[in-house]
Amino acid sequence: MNKIIVLLMVVCVFAINTAHAERTPAPKDAQVYIVWPADGAVIHGGKLWVRMGLRGAGVAPKGADKPHVGHHHLIVDAELPPMDEAIPSDRNYLHFGGGQTEARLEGLSPGKHTLQLLMGDHDHVPHDPPLYSKKITITVPPY
Amino acid sequence: MRKLFISTIATLIGLSIIWQVTAAERTPAPKDAYLYIGWPNDGEVIPANRPFRVWFGLRHMGVAPKDVDAPFTGHHHLVIDRDLPPFDQEIPSDRNFLHFGSGQTETMIELPAGKHTLQLLMGDHNHIPHDPPIYSKKITIDVR
Repeated sequence: MNKIIVLLMVVCVFAINTAHAERTPAPKDAQVYIVWPADGAVIHGGKLWVRMGLRGAGVAPKGADKPHVGHHHLIVDAELPPMDEAIPSDRNYLHFGGGQTEARLEGLSPGKHTLQLLMGDHDHVPHDPPLYSKKITITVPPY
Repeated sequence: MRKLFISTIATLIGLSIIWQVTAAERTPAPKDAYLYIGWPNDGEVIPANRPFRVWFGLRHMGVAPKDVDAPFTGHHHLVIDRDLPPFDQEIPSDRNFLHFGSGQTETMIELPAGKHTLQLLMGDHNHIPHDPPIYSKKITIDVR
């Protein structure tokens, strides 16, 4: 019985280590940021291009497992997701797995909205440590 | 004579096949792809002997490192003080033609005082421009 418990523990520890090892190390000194719009910008009409900026690393489409790369995810009106699993994909978590560096947003309702960038690796999992931008707030006036 | 004629025809057919294969190797450009220099602006005055950032803008298309053959992607090349190179061969790689084969979307450069031109040109996974080629407007900056 004891042997089985020890064996299970060993398997568990091994599984946890393997899961951790799967996260891609972040390129040193890499920085992700929103080039445009600026924090506090007023966006008329509720549509805009968000320019996604990256320093010290490169952009690669999903599936391309190259060194020092990732792809952009734009988080709209939501918090950062858990960092140890694939980034969700829905209307609040937009994936740019085609290697895009600009995001077109349309139909933002009047009011305040937050934008934040988070890089994902070839499996959509954040790097270790994760690369994310400052969260900015934009305002859409009534239209 | 007849043999010579036939072999000449055969050679011509062979050459045209090679030519077509070579031509077919160019990657089709994504529809509506738009490449531009996000910064500096055309005519920008920049302090001499100080590195400055060049920001690469790209719409309706993605960035991929060299050798990654993904649909609707390419990687950036910055052409400094030169005209665009031939589009049917690899983009040169030297101090006037900077390659960003790791998928970079911005860079820092430093230029001596004077007027300089900057232009972006996308290359496919083999560093060859797309068909039709995707390039930005050529801008002139004033370094002083």
